[in-house]
Amino acid sequence: MGVGEIPLEAGRAVTRAAERVLVDRCRRGDPEAFARLVALHEGMVVNLAARLLGDPEEARDVAQNVFLQVYRRLGQFEGRASLRTWIYRVTVNQSHNRRRWWQRRRHDKELPLDDLVAGRGAARLADSRPEASPFQETRRRERARRVQEGLLRLSFDHRTVLVLREVEGLSCDEIAGVLDVAPGTVKSRLARARESLRGELTGLVEEGRR
Amino acid sequence: MRCAAARRRLSEWLDGDLRPSEAGAVFAHVEACPACARVAGELRAVAALVSELPRVEAVDSVAQAVLTGLEVETRGPGLGFLFRRKGAARPFMVASLVPAALVLATVLAAALALDSDGSPRASGGHDRWPALSASGTENNPLFPSAEVGMPLENDAGRPAADAFLSGPGEGALFLETVVARDGTVARVTVLGGDAAGTQPLLDALRRQTFEPVRYRGRPVAVSVYRLISRHEVLAGPTIAGS
Repeated sequence: MGVGEIPLEAGRAVTRAAERVLVDRCRRGDPEAFARLVALHEGMVVNLAARLLGDPEEARDVAQNVFLQVYRRLGQFEGRASLRTWIYRVTVNQSHNRRRWWQRRRHDKELPLDDLVAGRGAARLADSRPEASPFQETRRRERARRVQEGLLRLSFDHRTVLVLREVEGLSCDEIAGVLDVAPGTVKSRLARARESLRGELTGLVEEGRR
Repeated sequence: MRCAAARRRLSEWLDGDLRPSEAGAVFAHVEACPACARVAGELRAVAALVSELPRVEAVDSVAQAVLTGLEVETRGPGLGFLFRRKGAARPFMVASLVPAALVLATVLAAALALDSDGSPRASGGHDRWPALSASGTENNPLFPSAEVGMPLENDAGRPAADAFLSGPGEGALFLETVVARDGTVARVTVLGGDAAGTQPLLDALRRQTFEPVRYRGRPVAVSVYRLISRHEVLAGPTIAGS
């Protein structure tokens, strides 16, 4: 069965069997299969890295590193977790490393939140709403900016569980698999992350309750 | 259930991760406690705000950039070879070896086509590509360079050249003279200029002799290029007076 016959499309659930065929072809050095694998997961990787780092340019760099690492380590992928879970884990680790790299160099990098909020530069927002009025669009962007700023003030661990849960829609067990921690740890981190962000977004939260 | 205990479980309660008995106790407390109900509403709003963040996509295809990176990494040995894990797959290796193999085959074929003394081997019936004469022969002369000296000419052609230069009119001739391995002139070719009336000059140049040129111990034929210009000089008007 050729890769072209595998019903794989970005955004669709990939069956384990199809995934195994794809991984096997990648291991044998089939560039077309690897291109398919990247195309299937790049949206998820870029979005997660962008939300963890707050910088679309950095997110794109991280995404490239993630797939290079995935390619090099496909031989070690045992298939116990899904490929998607494994790629989530590599993305979180790469983003964490990138964050620490900046911190070690005491580089006060001005986070280009404007680009992230407005979908400029290396980023594009997938669900911009052309039917929204300019006023609504401005409010939406301002809200997104404040939420992203609040996320970036959380610790990396808290930010990660919150983004995986609320943005990527993973369950606590799935997050535990990604982070290789106990589900209880995920739940306690999630509770503290929500509590911290509630404190950061006081005005927005009250507005949201109305 | 007290407020502190309820608050510790609010997050899990909102996610539906509590056992039914615990979930029921938290629900009852929240129904009865306006402060905890407010906190629960705010936590729900926090989750909604984060989940409403628009998804970010890369403008340019990450796949293309990654594949390009892999291609560069696997194109050839280079320094990257020293750092690559043993047994790592190299998907573009075979494809990238094809041009390298073609270049290698061409170089080997060229090397095999020449004998050590410069004479051609049989070309195996490739009639469309006539065998090129060995370098340094009259049909494939060398060019003067740092290793191949310029041939020193004798005086045989000089009178004819002087006669041409002193003749009437203006003009320039660009000539190639092939000096044979024995120092005689193998041929003279007019590469540019008006060849009319230059036959005596060409005949005289063909009779020239040179000191034979040697390259790596063996006599070789050499091409010499010459530009011969003739200018008519007119006397200016005589200045009278003074």
